[in-house]
Amino acid sequence: MDPLSSSDLNQPDSFAPAGADALPTPPADASAAQASTADTTFAPRTDLSSLTARTQAVRQEISRIIVGQADLLELLLTALLADGHVLLEGVPGVAKTLTAKLLARTLAVPFSRIQFTPDLMPADVLGTSIFRPAQGDFEFRPGPIFASVVLIDEINRGPAKTQSALVEVIEERTVTQDVQAHRMSSPFVVLATQNPIEQEGTYRLPEAQLDRFLFKLNVGYPTLAEEVQILQGHHSGFGSLALEQVQAVLSAQDLAALRQQVGQQRVEANVLEYIAKIVGQTRAHKALYLGASPRASLALLNGAKALAALRGRDFVTPEDVQFLAAPVLRHRIMLTPEREMEGGTPDEVVKQIVQSVEVPR
Amino acid sequence: MRKANTSRLAATGLGLGVWLALVAPAAVGAAPRPAPHPAPARFVAHALPPDLATPAQARPPAAVQARLNELGVQREFRYAQVESQPSAWDLFWARFWRQVARWLSSRSYQGFWKWVLYALFIGAAVFIVLKLLQVDLTAAFGRAPRRAALDYDTAAENIHELDFATRLREAEDTGNYRLALRLGYLELLKKLTDQGLIDWQPDKTNHAYLRELADRRPAARAPFGELTRQFEYVWYGELALPAAGYRQARAAQQQLGQQLSPASRRAAA
Repeated sequence: MDPLSSSDLNQPDSFAPAGADALPTPPADASAAQASTADTTFAPRTDLSSLTARTQAVRQEISRIIVGQADLLELLLTALLADGHVLLEGVPGVAKTLTAKLLARTLAVPFSRIQFTPDLMPADVLGTSIFRPAQGDFEFRPGPIFASVVLIDEINRGPAKTQSALVEVIEERTVTQDVQAHRMSSPFVVLATQNPIEQEGTYRLPEAQLDRFLFKLNVGYPTLAEEVQILQGHHSGFGSLALEQVQAVLSAQDLAALRQQVGQQRVEANVLEYIAKIVGQTRAHKALYLGASPRASLALLNGAKALAALRGRDFVTPEDVQFLAAPVLRHRIMLTPEREMEGGTPDEVVKQIVQSVEVPR
Repeated sequence: MRKANTSRLAATGLGLGVWLALVAPAAVGAAPRPAPHPAPARFVAHALPPDLATPAQARPPAAVQARLNELGVQREFRYAQVESQPSAWDLFWARFWRQVARWLSSRSYQGFWKWVLYALFIGAAVFIVLKLLQVDLTAAFGRAPRRAALDYDTAAENIHELDFATRLREAEDTGNYRLALRLGYLELLKKLTDQGLIDWQPDKTNHAYLRELADRRPAARAPFGELTRQFEYVWYGELALPAAGYRQARAAQQQLGQQLSPASRRAAA
């Protein structure tokens, strides 16, 4: 089976080690690792048991409400471990906002939600300086962006000036107001949802802003079995009470420790070259008007390191890179007008590019 | 021909005149009229007072003429008729439009649409040929994709051209067991390809081969999965491999290759 033959590159079934066709996953606990040969232990050299246990707890909490969407959850956790922001795109009603809210609930960190509307102003998001008559000076009142997990709902309904105001805070994690920079706390994760641009009242986000999101994840429709399960859940009284039952299982300190562990993942030189070749091909592909930037290469590297850790490995394989190619690149490339008129999609081009680069082996 | 055109214009003008005379007033009349102003309950008419003002005295004609003469000599009231000469550009366009009008009224205009049709067919044929040749027409209009030339080759080794025996021996002799394990794994992939158990493609990952092999030889899934895991830990994970570990891994590679060979399969059958 072609690893990229799936219609959606997000589908891990074609890549992931999980499932019937996958490689045997090594135990994350190094102490319990099995020895494949007499003298050599083919198991992670760093203890990933804590990472596996905590991310599994997050998955379980979210799975209490969300039916299916296993790929989406894996990629959200990958972004969380890779210290990246996520843009979720999908038609209305596919649980984009609910998934983001649930992920935020599983983290014991400050959370805020901003609903983007066409009349939203930058000060409504970032905050504003208020004059204090008693002191005779101005005081900065932080806006809702000052939280650890920020859910920006329907981000592509906001005006251009508000989008521009987000660029600094998303990338540099600071808000500059009245010549004073206010640093965001750590962790700082933006989970933005958007409807496809074909929907009424939506606009394409600027390239500079899109580039700052680690992943763009397409949230699709559930399968028939999943939809029946959703209906059964609602029929048997599923409601807002279930949402309240979701527990915070990951603190800011835990997350910082896990991220530090992800940063120590091994990446072989050939895999680094593989990443660079894939991203480099986007700049030479005839169907692309705009290729991906070096920031995309870094995003692919960081994402692959986090994904490898999630999958119980302490090193990155080309499999991880292929799995993340579409989520990392699809919002960073622009098709030529001819390709768009022919009905081409960024995912198709990314698939072609991945197929054109030899896997290092 | 010119006479015919004139008579056509005259008929059009006549039609327009009839429309203005008959239809337009009807259209205006059909417009909704404003509602009448409601009359007060008691309407009393008052007579205007008589105009007792002194009537205005008209100037005598001589005085008017004198005033006109006086104004006429002033510079501001002396109008000069400037006769403009058409420029060369105006003359060109006038001549151009005259030629166009002459051509349109000539006999050759009768075949105009035929030539337009021919031009469309030729244009479509040229477009199809350029598309088939994959000629990028947009580059001629400035919005060409910014393409960077690749300074590397995207295709590397071909496992069908590698001399595994020699390279394996070299790696083992130099103690480079990491490279030796890699070459052993590639050799196994080549054997599986030669036997039609996997379909070798440069872009496929190890997991893709594992799935293919599991579909065709389910019994080989577990041992090949373990060998793949060993290869990944050693090659991608840069795991140090001692000689003993290599010998065991190499033996497992050779054993699986042997098991999947046609001779073994025939013997098993």
